[in-house]
Amino acid sequence: MKSKYTVLLFAYVASGFLITSKSQEKVETLEEVVVTGTGTEHLLRDVPVQTEIVSRKTLDSYGAKSIEDILGGLTASFSFEEGDMGSQTQLNGLGNSYILILVDGKRLHGDVGGENDLSQIDPQNIDHIEIVKGAQSALYGSDAIAGVINIITKKHHDEGVYIENTTRYGSYNDIRQHNGLGLTYGKLNSFTNFQLQHTDGWRNTTNEYTEGHVVNDSRKKTANEKTNWQIAEKLTYTVNKKSEVYASGSYHRKNILRPQDGHYPSCDVYTYDLMYKNAALSMGGKWKLKGNNTITADADWGKHAYFYNYTATTLTDGYDPLGRFTNYFPYFKGQKSLQSDQQRLLASVKGIFDLPAENKLSTGIEYRYDYLNAPMRTAEGSVDDWTGSIFVQDEFDLLSWLNVTTGLRVDKNQNFGFKATPKVNAMLSAKNFRLRLGWSQGYKTPTTKELYYRYLHVMGASTYFNMGNTDLTPQTSNYYSSSVEYRGKRLTMSVTAYLNKLENMIALVNVPVDEIPVDASSAYFGDGSGDVVARKYKNMEDARTQGIDLNTTYKICEDFTIGGNYSYLDTKAHEYEASKQKLVEVTIDGMAHHKWNAYANWGHRFGKNYKLGASLGTRGSSQRYYQNNGNGKPFQIWRLNTTHDLESSKKFTYRAEAGIDNLFNYTDTTMHPYHLGTNSPGTTFFVALSIKFKQGKNIKPTKITNSKTFNDED
Amino acid sequence: MMKIKSLTIALLASLAMAAGFNSCSDDEETGSVANNYTIYQSAVDNKVIANKKHDKAILLVAFGSTWQNSFKAFDKTVEAYKKQFKDCDVYMSFSSAICINRAAAGEHANDKGEDKAEIRNYYAPNFWLHAFGSARYKEITVQSLQVIPGEEYSRVINYIKDFANNSLGDLNDQYLKTVTLKLGTPLLNNTDDVAKVAKTINKLCSSEAKKGVVAFMGHGNPDSYDTYKANVRYTQLEEQLQKINKNYFVGTVDMPDNYKQDVYARMKEAGFEKGNVVLYPLMSIAGDHAHNDMAGEGDEYWDAEDEESEDNSWNEYFSHKGYKVNSHMIGLLEQEEIRNLWIEHTKNPVELEDYYHSMYPED
Repeated sequence: MKSKYTVLLFAYVASGFLITSKSQEKVETLEEVVVTGTGTEHLLRDVPVQTEIVSRKTLDSYGAKSIEDILGGLTASFSFEEGDMGSQTQLNGLGNSYILILVDGKRLHGDVGGENDLSQIDPQNIDHIEIVKGAQSALYGSDAIAGVINIITKKHHDEGVYIENTTRYGSYNDIRQHNGLGLTYGKLNSFTNFQLQHTDGWRNTTNEYTEGHVVNDSRKKTANEKTNWQIAEKLTYTVNKKSEVYASGSYHRKNILRPQDGHYPSCDVYTYDLMYKNAALSMGGKWKLKGNNTITADADWGKHAYFYNYTATTLTDGYDPLGRFTNYFPYFKGQKSLQSDQQRLLASVKGIFDLPAENKLSTGIEYRYDYLNAPMRTAEGSVDDWTGSIFVQDEFDLLSWLNVTTGLRVDKNQNFGFKATPKVNAMLSAKNFRLRLGWSQGYKTPTTKELYYRYLHVMGASTYFNMGNTDLTPQTSNYYSSSVEYRGKRLTMSVTAYLNKLENMIALVNVPVDEIPVDASSAYFGDGSGDVVARKYKNMEDARTQGIDLNTTYKICEDFTIGGNYSYLDTKAHEYEASKQKLVEVTIDGMAHHKWNAYANWGHRFGKNYKLGASLGTRGSSQRYYQNNGNGKPFQIWRLNTTHDLESSKKFTYRAEAGIDNLFNYTDTTMHPYHLGTNSPGTTFFVALSIKFKQGKNIKPTKITNSKTFNDED
Repeated sequence: MMKIKSLTIALLASLAMAAGFNSCSDDEETGSVANNYTIYQSAVDNKVIANKKHDKAILLVAFGSTWQNSFKAFDKTVEAYKKQFKDCDVYMSFSSAICINRAAAGEHANDKGEDKAEIRNYYAPNFWLHAFGSARYKEITVQSLQVIPGEEYSRVINYIKDFANNSLGDLNDQYLKTVTLKLGTPLLNNTDDVAKVAKTINKLCSSEAKKGVVAFMGHGNPDSYDTYKANVRYTQLEEQLQKINKNYFVGTVDMPDNYKQDVYARMKEAGFEKGNVVLYPLMSIAGDHAHNDMAGEGDEYWDAEDEESEDNSWNEYFSHKGYKVNSHMIGLLEQEEIRNLWIEHTKNPVELEDYYHSMYPED
């Protein structure tokens, strides 16, 4: 099956070349601007650091319901395992803790089990997404060992009032609601965003291996019911032509509801739901100096609190009336208990300066403070950590066809001292071809959770005791990449080969049960249905991920574009197992050798006011490998979306979408608790309606004097 | 435009409010839980007071399980105790919080009719004991359903000490001075027990032991948990059994140097290179360990690179070594003769006379 798809893909890519060579017609390509790799604006074709983009146009035709949907469906480098508690993200074989997720350049905060809660991102408010792989950017932290995803939100700077509403409804009561209100009065701009996401969840199988046999009436869900909503506000004040200040805040809440009609106390009976509460506040400003020189200053505070929301009387760790520790502190239905509260403070000052002889210098300092309050999940109750960083980056047009970008980041961590990480990228340009070569070092200190957090993780019939490890040492990486990119009028194509070598990679691995500390001995006994599996964060001896990414788009005519992405990945990790006195190979959970997607987008304007669009896409993956509970099956699923854009007046525009996901109704019905290749519920239908209202005059995009850049904001 | 201006001011104010709101303590979110412990304890107290029929109480303490067959084994045990101790109220207790929670939430929780949940309240020993105090039972016997006097058993003793010492301070001290406290020890508490258990096992398995190896799989503790050196009972049991018949072996899941490969080494040394191997769990119930670690099968899960891996079951391991393996899925509590040995311990308990006075010597 695997080879069949690979052959198909290559045939498709080859046909792309064939069509190109025959074509004489001139077609314009989009001039996308990206900022993530260097922190400075570049046309995508000229960016010195290899950057992938999911464009607004692609997003518009895809009709996505979530960020997972977008990254999983429109790139081949990402994969998600959507479990009952949320999704686990991977980028080229490395998990979420190695991926820096930015929203407009600001770090997304808070994790559960090392995973960012991606539902904090409103899929309807995304302008485009930039992806830079490896620790190539000195600007955003060397801890982005797998890469950086920068989600650029839509901007609304028009004078007057802007109101938009999008409501999307799909199978399993999937509701996505987006409301935006933009107001610009003189120098003050305000944008308020509200989003709501809900799904009833679904059940792919009622089979579950438990109590020594397979039961066929488990009521565990494949994806649980969840609801989250978020309100965000950003105020921007343009002081004068040279300076701008902003303040923003957001509040996000999420509830995951688990089945309350379970049959079996051993696997599908739950006594609590999960609740998350996020809040963020930011402020900062931007000052333009002489020429193109700019200085920005930002301060961010973020909070991510995680609660159990009890649905039945539950005894858990706590303190009795005399203040003594007990394993039997009761909570009653309707009560909540805090599991962890992560808070973070970030402050930075950055500057971009044009230097003589075609040099552009970016430099800055950053301070980051992390605080983790987890009364029952850390021995000390709360822990904290700080890191200070200084970085410098120089973009140098050495020759008209050669740009060399070098960077250096120096981090000083409270516990682990100083570390400098250099980065070098070279870009050779020849007409429509770009050859990029990169080497970058990454450095990631253990997080407070990796060091101190410990908790009993019950997944149906399986019980894990996950432990932090204070003996951890920082992880370092060397990322080597080379890519060739062609950007023609019709065809764009890039091939990137990479090798990411990690030293001291931190992974959660199975360890002998006696590594559970004696004072946490209740955990050792698990839930009685089986022994607890002890897992601990450990430094691997070595680990590497390597692969080839292939991306291509071909514009057949103005109305019709096809594209495809393929990613080959291989990983190896070794750990020294003391009991066996030898190096053993460890599976990096979730790794798949082959992932791919392809799409065909067609759009045509009928008359002045109506535009019809259709998009057919497919995505797939070969088998995914895991340490515990079996491997995920290979899969391939197809999706169709249609869009209808209607402009009734200058003030109002409407858009309707209707689509079918998983056209051929593929469902992975592997029984619980084994891993699925995809948790897709089979064929689902969705419709969406957007209304936009605009009153006031349009403001033309600001021209940026740098010949290589311009502002593409709305 | 004035409207826009006022709206903007309102938005600014709301941002300020949002900041204030966000900085609120999480206690507001979780609400007050300060009285939960007392409320829960009172509920258990009231239940015991309402159902008290005799002046004597027996509390059976097991680690717990979430398996249906185990619930049934515990039910049977309680029934057997009621039959034997007609002048006592018999209670069943789990010490695992997760098992208590799930058994109380119940299977088929929302179903109607025949499928309706069977809610089982296996309260933790401390709550039961306090309730017995509130109900003023004159005699309380706590029976450990553990196999060896190890880590779990030490916790059982601590529950009794806490109770006798009036650890919450709200029981009547006069009552505590007079209440009779007794402790029923685990199945293999001392070497005399080991001999008795060996004899009983042989009664049950002698015909199988004549045809080949009969191997028992106990739990055992890893070194860091073997605080009371109770692992030795497994070794002693094998010695006692082998005095009766050389075909008996006793190994464990977690005791160092007594894993399946160690049992295999001893079997080979004794000359058992092939033939029948019959497996029994040496655990109070036949739960996950019995089903997966002992009897688990399926070639797809066989780790050929590391035969001794804990992922390979005893059944698979001995089968791959060339034996003909047969497994019995029956816990010790489900074997009447063995259960009777526990009952014997309850009938001949350790009297705990000094527990109260050790805390209050001046009384």
